[in-house]
Amino acid sequence: MTRYKRQDPELSRRRFINLAMGTTAAVGGVSLISVLGTANPVFRLTRDKMPPLKGDVLVHASNNKEGQPVKLSELNEQLVRAWPMGKGENGENVIRKGDPNNLVAIYRFPRGQIIQPTNLEATINGEVVAYSDICTHAGCTVADSDTRAGAMKCPCHSGEYDPKRAAVVVGGPPPRGLAQLPIALQGDNLVVTDFFLQMPYPYTSEGEWESFKQEVEEQLA
Amino acid sequence: MNQWLDERLHLSRLNDKFLRKAFPVHHSFFLGEITLFSLIILILTGILLALSYEPSNSLVVNSFDPGTTDAPNLIPAAYHSALKINAMPFGDMLRRIHHWTANIMIAASVIHMMRIYFTGAFKKPREINWWIGMLLLIFAALTAVTGYVLPYDNYAYNTLKVIYGIAASVPWVGEWVAQAAFAGKFPGDGVIPRVYGYHIMLLPGILLALTGAHMLIMIKQKHTQPQYAKRIAYKKIVGVPLMTQQTPIMLLLTFAFAGIIVLFSAFIPVHPVEYFGPPTTTPINNIKPDWYLLWVFGVLAIIPSFELRIFGGLIGSEFVGAILVPTLALLAMFAVPMLDRSKENLYYAENPTNYPVRLGAGVAFMMLLVVWSVAGYKPELISAGILTTANSNTVLWIASFLVPALSYFAVQLIVRGIRSLRESDARDRAAFQAADD
Repeated sequence: MTRYKRQDPELSRRRFINLAMGTTAAVGGVSLISVLGTANPVFRLTRDKMPPLKGDVLVHASNNKEGQPVKLSELNEQLVRAWPMGKGENGENVIRKGDPNNLVAIYRFPRGQIIQPTNLEATINGEVVAYSDICTHAGCTVADSDTRAGAMKCPCHSGEYDPKRAAVVVGGPPPRGLAQLPIALQGDNLVVTDFFLQMPYPYTSEGEWESFKQEVEEQLA
Repeated sequence: MNQWLDERLHLSRLNDKFLRKAFPVHHSFFLGEITLFSLIILILTGILLALSYEPSNSLVVNSFDPGTTDAPNLIPAAYHSALKINAMPFGDMLRRIHHWTANIMIAASVIHMMRIYFTGAFKKPREINWWIGMLLLIFAALTAVTGYVLPYDNYAYNTLKVIYGIAASVPWVGEWVAQAAFAGKFPGDGVIPRVYGYHIMLLPGILLALTGAHMLIMIKQKHTQPQYAKRIAYKKIVGVPLMTQQTPIMLLLTFAFAGIIVLFSAFIPVHPVEYFGPPTTTPINNIKPDWYLLWVFGVLAIIPSFELRIFGGLIGSEFVGAILVPTLALLAMFAVPMLDRSKENLYYAENPTNYPVRLGAGVAFMMLLVVWSVAGYKPELISAGILTTANSNTVLWIASFLVPALSYFAVQLIVRGIRSLRESDARDRAAFQAADD
C-alpha cells in the first residue's frame, strides 16, 4: 500500500471526458424535455371550438345540407344531426364544428312519449329533444338503432341509449347517458338556451366541465 | 473481383460467419422469413406511397369534384392525396399491396410465434429473442394502426377518434398523453403530420432495429433443430447453408409470396377510400378494427359499464377494456419463457404432444382471443337475432370462460388419443421385430 495518495493538480483525461459526457447528457436531457413540451401544442379556445351556447342556432350537420337551419317540420323519430351555429368575433356566423364533440342529435316524438328523467322544460313542447351525439364511451358519433325504432345505438362498441328517457344507457359499455341540450323555438329556428345540462363527452368530472364553461364565459364576456 | 473485394471487405470471414449459416429444412421455419419479406415489401411500397402522399389535414379543394367558387368542395389534403394515388397508374394497386402485406405480415408473425411456442423454441437460451419478437409484434400492430389513419377518410377519422379516446382514458395522465401523442385536442391541426412521422420514421425505425437484433441473435444462437436432426446427427447442426442452397429457396418463396400478394391485391380491394369518403359527422355502421385487434374491440363491446375514482383518477370500462386487458394478455405472452425452469439449453424442437399442458394452455389462450374476436361482432350477432341486447353480454362472458376451458380439456383428450396410438404402434413394431428375429 502506498502511504501517500498521489495528488494530481490537473484534471485527468478520464475525468475530463466523464465531465464532458455528463454535461452533454444533462443538456441533451433538458432539451429533450423541451421537445416533449412542444409535442403537446397549446389549446386555443376559438369560437368554432366552443360548446353549444345560449343563442346558438342549430343547423344541419349532414353533408348536403350543412349550415342550413334545422326546421321543426324536418324532425321525426329519425335522428337529425346538427351543429350549433353562433356568432364570431365580428358578428359573422360561425358553425362550431372545430370541436367534433359539439355534434348534437335532435329527435321529435309524439307528445307524451318523452318522459322523465328527461328535463321536459328544456325540450320544445315536450316533443323535440336534443342531446350530445357523442357516445360517452369512446367518443364515436351515435346513430339510430338498426333494430329498434326510436332508440340510439353507437356503431363502435354498441352502446345503446334511450332518447325518450334523457338518453340514459340501456345497453353496452357507456358509463353515463348523453348530455341533454336545452333548446327552444325562436321563429322557425331551434335555438340553444343554455349549456349542456350534464357534462358531455369528453369530460369525466363535473369539475372539469364547470371550469371549461367558466373559461368559455370569461372569454365571451 | 472476388479477390479484390475479399482483400478489402474480408468476404471470406463473412462467408464463414454468416453466409454459411445452416437453415433447418422444414416448412414451418419459413414463417419468420415470410414476416421478414413482408417487412421488405412494406418498406418498398411504403417509400413509393410516401412519394405521392401529402401529410396534412388542412382542407384543400377536391380537384376531382371542386364544387363551386361560392361553395368549394373542401377535403383534407391527406385524403385528397389518397384519391390522387388511387388515380395514378397502379396507384390503387400499390395501396392494396401495402395494405395486404401488412395484414399478412402480422398473420405470418402470429403463426411464427405459434410455431415457436408449441415447439418450445422460446426456452433457454432463446428467451431474449421471444421478448424481442413480442416487441416486434406490438410495434408491428402500432405501425399498422397508424397506417390506418393516414388516408384520413371517414374510417380513419372515426378510428383516430377512438384511439384518441383510448389514450385519453388512462387515469390521471390520459388527456395529456393523448394530446401529446396526437398534437393537441382531437382532431388537432397537426394530427396527420404527427401520425405520419410515427408511421414512416419512428415505428419503421424501431421495427428495423428490432428485426436486426432478432436475426443477429438467431444467427448467434442457431435455429432450434427439427426432430429429424436428432436422428441424423445428434448434437450437430443439420441444414442447408444460406449461400448457396437456402438463398434460391428464399428467392423462390419471396417471388411466390409476392405473387400471391399481388393476386390478392388485384382481386380483393382493401380500404376503399372513395367508399368511406372524407371525414364526416355520419358514423360508419359496424366500423371494426382489423382482425388482429378485433379481440380488444370485442372486450370493449362486452365489458360492463363502470367508473371507479381513485385519488382523482378515473378508471373506466374503456381503460380496462382497451388498455388493461390487452396489457395483461401481452404480459402473459411475455412471461412464457419464464414459466420454463429447465437449466439445459434447448437444441431440438419439441413435439407439442409431449407437452400437453403447454399445448392446452396455448390453445385455450388462442380460443379466448377467438371468443373475444367473435364478441367484436356483437352488433351483427344481435342484428341477426342470434343474441339479444339483454343476453349478449352474459352469453359472451360465459363463452369467454367456457370455450377456453373446454378446448383445454379437448386438447388433453386428443393428446391422450395420439399417445395411445403411438404406443400401440411401438408395441406392434416391437412385436414384428421380435417375429423378424
